[in-house]
Amino acid sequence: MDFTISPVNKMIIKAAKDFSERKIPAIEAYMKANNDYPPDLMEIYAKNRMLGFNVPREYGGIGTSNFNMILYIEEMGKTASTCFLPFMMNNSVAETICHWGSEEVKKKFVPPLCDGTAWATMAFTEPDTGSDPKMLTTTARPDGDDFIINGTKRFISMANKPGYGVFICKDLSLAGQKNNTTAFIIDKSSPGISCSKHYELTGLEGADTCDITFTDVRVPKGNILGNQGEGFNILLRWIAGERIQQAAGMVGVGQRAFDEAKKYSLQRVVNGMPMGYMQGFYWMLGEMKVKLEACRLMVYQAVCKQDAGKAFEVDSAEVKVFTTPMIQEVTRMAVQFLGSYGYSKEYIVEKLFRLAMHQGVVASSLEINKTIVGMTALMSRSK
Amino acid sequence: MNIIVCIKQVPNVTQVKWDADGSLIRTGLPTIINPVDKNAIEAALQLKEQHGGKVTVLSMGPSQVESALREALCMGVDDVIQLTDRKFAGADTWATSYTIGCAIQKIGDYDLVITGVEAMDGNTAQVGPQVAEYLGLPLLSYALSIAVADGKVTIDQKLGDVARVIEAKLPALVTVEKEINEYRVTPIDKLIDAFERTIPVWGVDDISPDVVHLGLKGSPTKLRKVYSPKLEKGKVEMLEGTPDEVARQLVDKLNAKFLI
Ligand SMILES: Cc1cc2nc3c(=O)[nH]c(=O)nc-3n(C[C@H](O)[C@H](O)[C@@H](O)COP(=O)(O)OP(=O)(O)OC[C@H]3O[C@@H](n4cnc5c(N)ncnc54)[C@H](O)[C@@H]3O)c2cc1C
Ligand SMILES: Cc1cc2nc3c(=O)[nH]c(=O)nc-3n(C[C@H](O)[C@H](O)[C@H](O)COP(=O)(O)OP(=O)(O)OC[C@H]3O[C@@H](n4cnc5c(N)ncnc54)[C@H](O)[C@@H]3O)c2cc1C
Repeated sequence: MDFTISPVNKMIIKAAKDFSERKIPAIEAYMKANNDYPPDLMEIYAKNRMLGFNVPREYGGIGTSNFNMILYIEEMGKTASTCFLPFMMNNSVAETICHWGSEEVKKKFVPPLCDGTAWATMAFTEPDTGSDPKMLTTTARPDGDDFIINGTKRFISMANKPGYGVFICKDLSLAGQKNNTTAFIIDKSSPGISCSKHYELTGLEGADTCDITFTDVRVPKGNILGNQGEGFNILLRWIAGERIQQAAGMVGVGQRAFDEAKKYSLQRVVNGMPMGYMQGFYWMLGEMKVKLEACRLMVYQAVCKQDAGKAFEVDSAEVKVFTTPMIQEVTRMAVQFLGSYGYSKEYIVEKLFRLAMHQGVVASSLEINKTIVGMTALMSRSK
Repeated sequence: MNIIVCIKQVPNVTQVKWDADGSLIRTGLPTIINPVDKNAIEAALQLKEQHGGKVTVLSMGPSQVESALREALCMGVDDVIQLTDRKFAGADTWATSYTIGCAIQKIGDYDLVITGVEAMDGNTAQVGPQVAEYLGLPLLSYALSIAVADGKVTIDQKLGDVARVIEAKLPALVTVEKEINEYRVTPIDKLIDAFERTIPVWGVDDISPDVVHLGLKGSPTKLRKVYSPKLEKGKVEMLEGTPDEVARQLVDKLNAKFLI
């Protein structure tokens, strides 16, 4: 496979770097002061035409590749800012609605996700499970032309922001059937919806992740995404893309950790010479670099498959299984490089380390992905 | 309102190198759009957003200026024109301005020309004013703002510690300062479109100039030598004693050098 970075790709990287350097500091400053995203974050993204990467122009998107999007995310990852999370969410949910939705659904719900008026959400996780569709307890009960939604979704990103979310619910009209989950597009300001406070997280500073509770929330049948019973499949396809995007962000995080470690090791003098010249440290740098390079190649390979329209779900799971411990190790090593400074909030490496920890538990857990990869290998006929 | 913006591609270094003949060694240096010229593009795009019309960007230089023009397209300008011809090479500011002036005459239909105040490599700040002179346009230089209304353009002109408001009838030429705006981050849709475009290249035959005024031969300025001035390393002397004593020593030393 050929990963030549084309002139377009290079310009994307340049634009992303420019955005990260000139726009993210103000976003970060707001998030630090308010422990939340700036209210106009989606407008900022829309103004810079960063929403709808893989959505056709007729629905307000840009109509380019997922590859270009993950290059953008990789640059944003280098800033260690959590603001890439809503960026990924609007892009991936808009693409998901485009993939599964009827013409009417696409026309109604996709443009607001691209023009910055709506914040996207994708909600599956509940108090009792983040992995098993059979355990879902949020129910959708048919009532005339509507469904009535009841239940709680847990750890939901951007649940308390205005706009639409895709909510995977147990469809009571499919009771007794094997595939009984349905995806509903729900306006998050509908009557009957309430949200908890934000969770205090290890990393991802400023993230608004919270619980969202539905009490007799009325949703028109026309808001069903795809067909009834397809809810879990919609989630799986979405999350396969999300894992790659998340991993691309983490490659950026790892790259920044490497850059910081390298810079420090050329400055800090130990035993009369810059510490980087000690074999223990340059070996570490070498290891970090190789790990990063392997992660990057794996992410690029998976996204190329996605762009080529091939099945990429297992590749995406492999990406999570490989890159999660690698990037966590690279950021941990960067903390070691900087010694006590690395463990202090004065330097960015501790933030990178905490940020890298989220990859194992958000957008499906590491173990679930090992299960996907392992079971696929076991069941596959080819050797 | 149709606006023409002139941009220069410059090497992205502060300490450039010259060869034995005093010519800039460009090979191997990464190039960028002269930074203030991005503000010129931004100013033009903002005026277009207010008044409609179209923005055309012009650049003279060797074949690699294509990448600067591509970047201008990425920012969202409507058209670009690349002025490349061996006969343009080696131009001083006069010949550069003449060539750009001929190209602008060829484009013909314009209300405003915008340039940066100065290029970060040549630093003469002459091209804008000379293009205005050649085209017989009123010149509004050092702009901190541009407003257009009723066939007139008004700018706040930066003059050291003071600013003054000047206005002129259109068509006119404005040179802009970097403080005029913050240029936009490249919008991704324009970026993608920019790579679908072919960039037109104009040579001598396209702008029908008087060839004796072109390039090195047409340049009245003869460059004798370009060099980096030698930097003298500063000597540091630490004064010792109580604050009073140190102050006295310092006054004596400054007096001895007739500095106070
Ligand atoms: C170190 C150095 C010293 C030089 N010294 C002299 C000198 O003393 N006298 C002399 O006549 N020449 C000199 N030149 C040559 C001169 O730089 C270029 O020939 C001329 O093309 C641009 O002049 P400038 O860079 O000073 O631009 P400036 O006049 O400072 O540029 C002002 C604006 O004009 C526009 N512009 C400038 N060049 C172009 C272009 N090629 N295409 C489109 N728009 C443009 C841009 O908007 C720019 O912001 C020098 C060049 C270098 C690199
Ligand atoms: C910051 C943040 C943001 C989030 N945003 C969202 C969001 O927007 N939308 C959303 O729906 N969710 C979101 N989540 C939830 C997240 O996706 C889930 O927490 C995750 O999928 C794991 O679910 P769980 O914690 O319920 O673990 P469980 O599913 O209860 O699993 C518990 C443990 O068992 C393991 N396990 C479970 N099943 C298997 C299996 N079959 N094979 C092997 N091991 C298994 C898991 O790996 C885990 O270690 C977010 C979480 C966080 C922290």
